[in-house]
Amino acid sequence: MSKVYPGRNIEFNPESRVVFTSCSLKLTGMADESLFDFLHMEIVSHIYKEQQSSKGEMDNKDRAVCVSVLESMGFRVGQGLIERLTRDSASFKDELDVMKFVCKDFWTKVFRRQVDNLRTNHQGTYVLQDNKFSLLTQLSSGKQYLDQAPKYLAFSCGVVRGALSNLGLDSVVTAEVSVMPSCKFQVVIQKL
Amino acid sequence: MSQMKEEKKMTVHNLYIFDRNGSCLYYNEWNRKKQAGISKDEEFKLMYGMLFSIRSFVSKMSPLDMKEGFLSFQTSKYRLHYYETPSGLRFVMNTDLSVPNARDTLQHIYSNLYVEYIVKNPVCVLGQSLDSELFSSRLDSYIRALPYYSPRAA
Repeated sequence: MSKVYPGRNIEFNPESRVVFTSCSLKLTGMADESLFDFLHMEIVSHIYKEQQSSKGEMDNKDRAVCVSVLESMGFRVGQGLIERLTRDSASFKDELDVMKFVCKDFWTKVFRRQVDNLRTNHQGTYVLQDNKFSLLTQLSSGKQYLDQAPKYLAFSCGVVRGALSNLGLDSVVTAEVSVMPSCKFQVVIQKL
Repeated sequence: MSQMKEEKKMTVHNLYIFDRNGSCLYYNEWNRKKQAGISKDEEFKLMYGMLFSIRSFVSKMSPLDMKEGFLSFQTSKYRLHYYETPSGLRFVMNTDLSVPNARDTLQHIYSNLYVEYIVKNPVCVLGQSLDSELFSSRLDSYIRALPYYSPRAA
């Protein structure tokens, strides 16, 4: 005779040993995060290796190509993500409302926390500061590997640009890091 | 009085991390009073080679079927603890005799420090020595916070 415990889905069959267990939702959540982190690491590494294999050294032009490839990948991902994340919300009042949504709900879903600081000049330029940017926290907490940080930010810049684009805002998104893992994203809305 | 004396002796001496090919990825010491008298490279090779031999000896001579195998050895002054991960990483820690089992510690170092700050670090190439300062500093804080660590060991 087997018993099913509600909410935990563990079946015990006294004749054989434990037959089936299911992971708790928390465990599945954690596995999903690592999956993206590792995939992103490999995407960056692959793109840089591809660019380098044609010549021996990487010059600035090669690096720019890699960054722009990563950024356009992120763009498409951001477009898709924002459709999915806003399917249940009402439309936005104005540009600032959109940016606040990006800083709170969007950032939480994509980067697992909210933006710490949003500044604007009310003329289309916004600076989003994340003090523990999730793609940089495992790299270092200071100056080590600072020169490598831009490689791991290009995709995220694209994600933000893609999200804004599908919300009706054309923009240019750049990121800068001075002390890891704190990161500033600069969004400049393009007026027609 | 005697309890105070015992507390003084509790400590971690040093830690080695080897990969499955025998290269020493990381080494740090906290309280080592005597060096081996050979170069660091030779010391790492000696440590790895010895562990390799002990493990095969232990499993060969075991009178029973064994799952984990070699765990630790002790001398009159220190105990060496050994932990091997399924991926072939070997954690070796020397502590004083008051620490009976450091397996949990080594397991924590693997899953919460190594996996978090090395495996998830895109710059760290698996198999090369561990340069991440973040890893070093977190490991250092963790060791110093251990209940059996005291900086002034007898």
